[in-house]
Amino acid sequence: MPRETFQQELDHLVGDMVALGREVEASMDTMVEAMQAQDAEIARRVIGVDAGYKQRGLELDEECIILQARQAPVARDLRLIYTVQAVTNHLVRAGTLSEHICRAIVDTGGVEHDPDLASTLSEMARAARNLFHEGLNVFEMRDIDRARDLEAADDKVDLLYSEAMNLIVNPSDNGGGSPEWRIRAALIVHYLERIADHGVDVGGRTVFLVTGERMESAMQQYRERRVESDED
Amino acid sequence: MLGMKIEDLSAFYGSFKAVTGVSMNIQANKVTALIGPSGCGKSTFLRCLNRMHEVIPGAYAEGGVHLGDQDIYAKDADPVTIRRRIGMVFQKPNPFSKSIYENVAWGARINGYKGDMDELVERSLRRAALWEEVKDKLKKSGFDLSGGQQQRLVIARTLAVEPEVILMDEPASALDPVSTQKIEDTMADLKKRYTVVIVTHNMQQAARISDYTGFFYIEHMGDPGRLWEFDETDKVFSAPGRKETEDYVTGRFG
Ligand SMILES: Nc1ncnc2c1ncn2[C@@H]1O[C@H](COP(=O)(O)OP(=O)(O)O)[C@@H](O)[C@H]1O
Ligand SMILES: [Mg+2]
Repeated sequence: MPRETFQQELDHLVGDMVALGREVEASMDTMVEAMQAQDAEIARRVIGVDAGYKQRGLELDEECIILQARQAPVARDLRLIYTVQAVTNHLVRAGTLSEHICRAIVDTGGVEHDPDLASTLSEMARAARNLFHEGLNVFEMRDIDRARDLEAADDKVDLLYSEAMNLIVNPSDNGGGSPEWRIRAALIVHYLERIADHGVDVGGRTVFLVTGERMESAMQQYRERRVESDED
Repeated sequence: MLGMKIEDLSAFYGSFKAVTGVSMNIQANKVTALIGPSGCGKSTFLRCLNRMHEVIPGAYAEGGVHLGDQDIYAKDADPVTIRRRIGMVFQKPNPFSKSIYENVAWGARINGYKGDMDELVERSLRRAALWEEVKDKLKKSGFDLSGGQQQRLVIARTLAVEPEVILMDEPASALDPVSTQKIEDTMADLKKRYTVVIVTHNMQQAARISDYTGFFYIEHMGDPGRLWEFDETDKVFSAPGRKETEDYVTGRFG
């Protein structure tokens, strides 16, 4: 096949990006574990990973720019490089958020927690991690049907978000933990919601990569198709 | 300015069918690029658009070609008038062995141009982005110019008869990068006044200069060429609709 070298370079680029994604995921697993065990020592393992992710993100970005300059890519090659740049950004940001969450856990290691809120946060963390994981899978498999399911999974995260916020604002009778902990919990809830959004976006970028259409317009068509077939 | 409408056009060389079933609208004041592997009928199709194809013995076309409202294949349509209204520039610059001035003035003169010839020559050379380079040597032979300048001279000659559509068949493929860039730069200017159709094997060139792109393709060896995909250039080079188009524009063809 012509352009074999270019194809190898693209494969390499994608491989590097997915590897970064899997490492961010591993940090997220540690984060979930720390939240479930309410263990600051576990959380501490994630402190400092962010700088490395950012560096890798910059390197991937640079590779993308060089490939564009040298190969003048069009059509699916162009969409792939554009998508790698966008997805890399989502991965790095999700990594940063995971570290922020772990830092919050470390900082509040000694203060009193609200068990109801803590368990909602854990559930939300698992949901966000799973969604992020699924987003990366969608990209790896180019499985755009599954990308559409990500939105439903995100609705669940949003629901947990409301539940957690409710517990933060209206603490239960058994105390609700220290104010310090509740402030940090509010931040954690926000970070988790962002992580889930990055997962959804990775799926959306994949839809663009495969079809050339933005997720919003792809979703629109999907809904219209459903309406039409309902009428049949 | 007028656009063109092509309906179910097929082109033959004797019994050999080179192009089949092409329908497309060529928008006025836009650049339409035709791309595709060689031998799939781009040049043949282009020559059908101003009735140059039938000049080849045994060659003929079927189907409809309209310039605005006019059927250019109508019985009473005069091919010479049509070729004036729809001019053509070829791959290899073909100036006449005359002065630069006469190269430009010649076509207008035989068409009975009555206006100010000096003014027409200057205007045509300006539109072809050649004036500044030749204004002091208009009496010199057209052959004294570089290849890139000769091609712009041919463009000026085509413009001097005041056509409505300009067809170009790989006009820059024999030129160096700087001359190519000059031809490309004139294109943006030309489409303000003319409708342009260009065949190019340089895909980045099509991406740079055109508004619409048609991809010609032959699926099975021995078949006639077809228009495989026709869309806005932005679409063809970012997310083409068909796999073969995508393979071709990304260089994965073959
Ligand atoms: N003068 C001709 N006589 C017979 N066959 C021709 C002639 N010119 C072109 N062909 C054939 O018509 C087909 C299309 O050619 P052409 O229009 O030149 O393709 P392209 O411009 O896309 O390379 C080819 O099979 C070619 O061999
Ligand atoms: Mg040709």
